[in-house]
Amino acid sequence: MRILVVEDNDLVADAIARGLGMAGFAVDRAASAERAAMALESEHFDLAVLDIGLPGIDGLNLLRRLRSDGKTLPVMVLTARDTLATKVEALDLGADDFLMKPFEQAELAARCRALIRRANLSTSGQLNLGRIRIDVGGRQLQIDNELVELTGREWLVLECLALNTGRVVSKERLQQAIVSWDQALTPNAVEVYVSRLRSKLGDAVTIRAVRGLGYRLEEPKARMSNAAAGTR
Amino acid sequence: MSNRLAPPRSIRRRLLIFLLPPLTALMLVVVFVDYRAAVLFARTTFDQRLTDAALLIATHVTVANGELHAQSLAQTPPTLGIGRDNDLRYSILGPDGRLLAGNPQISPVPPSGTNPSYADALLGDRGIRVATYRLTTGAGVATVNVAGIDDSRTGPVHFILGSTWLIGFIQLDITLLLVWLGVHFGLKPLVIVRGQIEARSARELRPLELSAAPAEVRPLVAALNLLFEMLGEAARAQRQFVADTAHQLRTPITGLLGHLEVLMREPAAMALHARLAALHDGMSRLATTANQLLALARADPSASLADKFESVDLKVLIERVLERNVDRSLESGLDMGADLRPAQVSGSARLLEDLLGNLVDNALHYTPAGGHITVRCGSDEHGPYLEVEDDGVGIPEAERARVRERFYRLPGSPGPGCGLGLAIVDEISRLHRADLAIDGGTNGRGTRVKVQFPVTGALVLPPKPRSRRQETETPVST
Repeated sequence: MRILVVEDNDLVADAIARGLGMAGFAVDRAASAERAAMALESEHFDLAVLDIGLPGIDGLNLLRRLRSDGKTLPVMVLTARDTLATKVEALDLGADDFLMKPFEQAELAARCRALIRRANLSTSGQLNLGRIRIDVGGRQLQIDNELVELTGREWLVLECLALNTGRVVSKERLQQAIVSWDQALTPNAVEVYVSRLRSKLGDAVTIRAVRGLGYRLEEPKARMSNAAAGTR
Repeated sequence: MSNRLAPPRSIRRRLLIFLLPPLTALMLVVVFVDYRAAVLFARTTFDQRLTDAALLIATHVTVANGELHAQSLAQTPPTLGIGRDNDLRYSILGPDGRLLAGNPQISPVPPSGTNPSYADALLGDRGIRVATYRLTTGAGVATVNVAGIDDSRTGPVHFILGSTWLIGFIQLDITLLLVWLGVHFGLKPLVIVRGQIEARSARELRPLELSAAPAEVRPLVAALNLLFEMLGEAARAQRQFVADTAHQLRTPITGLLGHLEVLMREPAAMALHARLAALHDGMSRLATTANQLLALARADPSASLADKFESVDLKVLIERVLERNVDRSLESGLDMGADLRPAQVSGSARLLEDLLGNLVDNALHYTPAGGHITVRCGSDEHGPYLEVEDDGVGIPEAERARVRERFYRLPGSPGPGCGLGLAIVDEISRLHRADLAIDGGTNGRGTRVKVQFPVTGALVLPPKPRSRRQETETPVST
């Protein structure tokens, strides 16, 4: 997985490059919009991390140019300015995600992974989450390359969670996902299907319940040395 | 000069003090003139009576043998004794001054331009009025004198004088009352302007409504608005400075934090891990402070007036903020959850996110591993509310007011933090006209912070005045 980091501040660029490198990405750097445009023109990247505050042509203009050139690679926008207008403009221009400085390396890496996963899903119809592979188009689940049978409702719950990996999906939303299958849903239907899913998934992937909010399909941990996260 | 301005001056009192002497003098003049006119009228009438009497008496004077006689009057008492003229006395003197008839005490008065001639005289110690009619006969000039007690200064004139005084007083009182009321009503627009200014928070610098002010007050309002504008400009410049500074801090902090995180994962740095972690903590704290300063600058009422209030679903807001913090709660071994019921408020989504973010941040900081954090929203009889409860270290009751102050930290507070969190929460609550209540959690453990929003619809009003308004609110006399 190759990422282009477009950031003019050396200290920040270096830290991001190293952090993403440790998370298992191949990272290239560009200090200006012109260089970034050149690199993106000549080589393939799976994702661009783009700082808005670039000298000369700024990040938003580069983004506009990329999208008008038909480039579809996912773009993660970074900014030190958190005005609502900037965020809205960035998303309108086709940014896929938005991160405020300062951020944690682990957060950036996780979001980059999610963006690449989503991009892959739309091209291949497949979702790879560590040991499991979900073929959305073919409605198939594989754990360690072995096919696992799911009922229709189990599949809908898994699909809804998997498409939002790392994010909390509310119970209402899961309920809506399965309601068309069964008009008379018991109030704890979601719990029932989640618990069935859990037993079928085993320890390949974790579905975490967040009290009062919903469920979250956990990111498969890309384990390097134990992360900085614990020191918060 | 300046000390003359010191005592507060009431326009009404000044106006009354200014008006009272001339109005009183005017009243005295009016009473005097009225009195004189009444006296003159009464005298003219009395003189007419004397004349009538004198002419009547003169018809009794006859000439016989070259001598004057007034025989027919001989039996008549010295008083005329007819009807209302009972109080008149008369005398008739011959050319040689001999008394022909009547009262010898009544002497003629010297002639004047008119016949009869009139004059004031004394009868004993009483003031009388005498009319002398000179009757020219073949036997010389006889003088007919009629006198009466002059009541032109007494009697009805006293009544006239009294009523003139009374009317004068009433006029004066009514005039002063009208002035008092007139000033009161005339100053109403000023009172309204005063109300507008009083209802403001110290940092609310919108211009006053110029069209509502009467013409006389407009220059004052315009001058005030100019002042507001200048103050607002200064506040904006300061805010811009704070915001710029925070932005300028963020980029290097991002770089430093990133490098520290990368370093801590290097196998070669394992021996230094504790020191790197301490560095990372300090850097995180710096990052938090920069973010919070920015949040405060954002929450400033004059800055956020531009922030459009919209309908915000608290449920969605909580979901967004909690999702961001799930990993942190797991790392800290905390059970963080939500209890969400429908709640819509009118407000700024961004500021409310700052508010909730700071509350959740505090809960995560001050709740030890194994603890619980619950974020709730819903609507009760007072309106929509947002609540964050934890069973952590809690805030002693005596400190609950102080923790809202900027940079105030509880003595011995653990972990990073700079004491801006609750100040931000307080500021944003105020801006939304919400009540912020800090209490103990269930069973007296931990902290429960409740933000009670007003019923939607009340939010179009300007932000709630700051608490210091209560201190300055004194009855103002006008």
